Amino acid sequence: MRQGEAMQLFKKTIDPIVALSIIALLDIFLFLVVGAWTVGGGETMITGLVAKLFMGDQIYRIPFWKFAFEPTPYYWKIYISLGMFFGAIVAAVGSKEFYWRVPRHLSEWIMITIGGLLMGIGIRLAFVCNVSTFFGLTPEMNLGGYLSVSGIIVGAWVGSLIYKRVMEA
Amino acid sequence: MEMSSLTQCLAAFLFGSVVGFLVQRSRFCNTAALRDAMLFKSYRNTKALLVCMMILTIGFTAFISVGGGHPMHFEVGLNQVIGLFLFGIGMVLAGACTVSTWVKSGEGNVGAMWALLFTFIGMFLFSLFWSSTWWPPAPQTMTGGVDLAGLQLGFANAQTLQQQTGIPAIFFGLIQSLVLGGIYYAIVRKERAMAAAREAAVRAAEQTAKTASATIASPTGAEGDDTDTLATAGKG
Repeated sequence: MRQGEAMQLFKKTIDPIVALSIIALLDIFLFLVVGAWTVGGGETMITGLVAKLFMGDQIYRIPFWKFAFEPTPYYWKIYISLGMFFGAIVAAVGSKEFYWRVPRHLSEWIMITIGGLLMGIGIRLAFVCNVSTFFGLTPEMNLGGYLSVSGIIVGAWVGSLIYKRVMEA
Repeated sequence: MEMSSLTQCLAAFLFGSVVGFLVQRSRFCNTAALRDAMLFKSYRNTKALLVCMMILTIGFTAFISVGGGHPMHFEVGLNQVIGLFLFGIGMVLAGACTVSTWVKSGEGNVGAMWALLFTFIGMFLFSLFWSSTWWPPAPQTMTGGVDLAGLQLGFANAQTLQQQTGIPAIFFGLIQSLVLGGIYYAIVRKERAMAAAREAAVRAAEQTAKTASATIASPTGAEGDDTDTLATAGKG
């Protein structure tokens, strides 16, 4: 590939249907070698590793980290998350779209904080995140996927109502 | 195919990097796929999500049919509905889901980094309350038998569907893809109808403007296309 062609990758916005189709084909390959794309599991393991850094072996006194998710850096899902972060930096820097964006209003900070907490609690309660719901379980026709989809649609609707109200206030 | 954990981590990192790159360059967002459809009747991301799910359904169920791949096996129950309900509210408030928090963080979005930090904190808080006794244990829900407590009606996933009915999983996968395709088609039709309505409104507004300008212009006689304007206006 000539340099000019390579640079085109960073100039144009890729059609999301094209991008998601490529991701789908790669996800099928990943499903064959290790398992379908998920994010929540990797994030949980990162949480465990960070907590272990602060708490040491005290963390094993919490049953969750002893029985459900024993912190280990050799968990492949961690690296999907880190890879997404890395790929996004490359794409943003290459297309000169990297710049610091800081939320301005206090209401935004509060919404993001509550939103983040709800996402974390929700993932662990359901045992899945939105990625495993839409890109793993439902395509595998798992009942858990359908249950999750029904939950997330109602949740997003309620969230949209709250978001609208806060933004209009 | 069994791989060493190092190879698994490497494959995962490569996959993640391509995903991060493509998501950043296409501005895809899973949150927007749901939120924009509900709030703004805009379906750019929703359509991409549906296409991706159709491809995945056919791919996954095809390989499950021949006994390939690594399908997920885990607890199924009401906790999925409640958990993803909370997650759905959370992702709209945070303005990013699990994927976009990482991708937007990579773009330098401090708000997304903050959301990610609090996702971790939320996960840790939940771990303090976790108990294996009330959690629907996997071996009980994945038997393929009828289990109301685990909301399992004998059909856990494409694999158990295949085992219980003797029909290859891809058959069910094709049905699901058709349903997803139907939703996609309904969205495209809705978009066309909205575009047609918008065009009609623009044309009507243009005509009113033209008729108005024609009436103003005609006494002076400076404009040469008065007749044309009036003719088109008459057609409407």
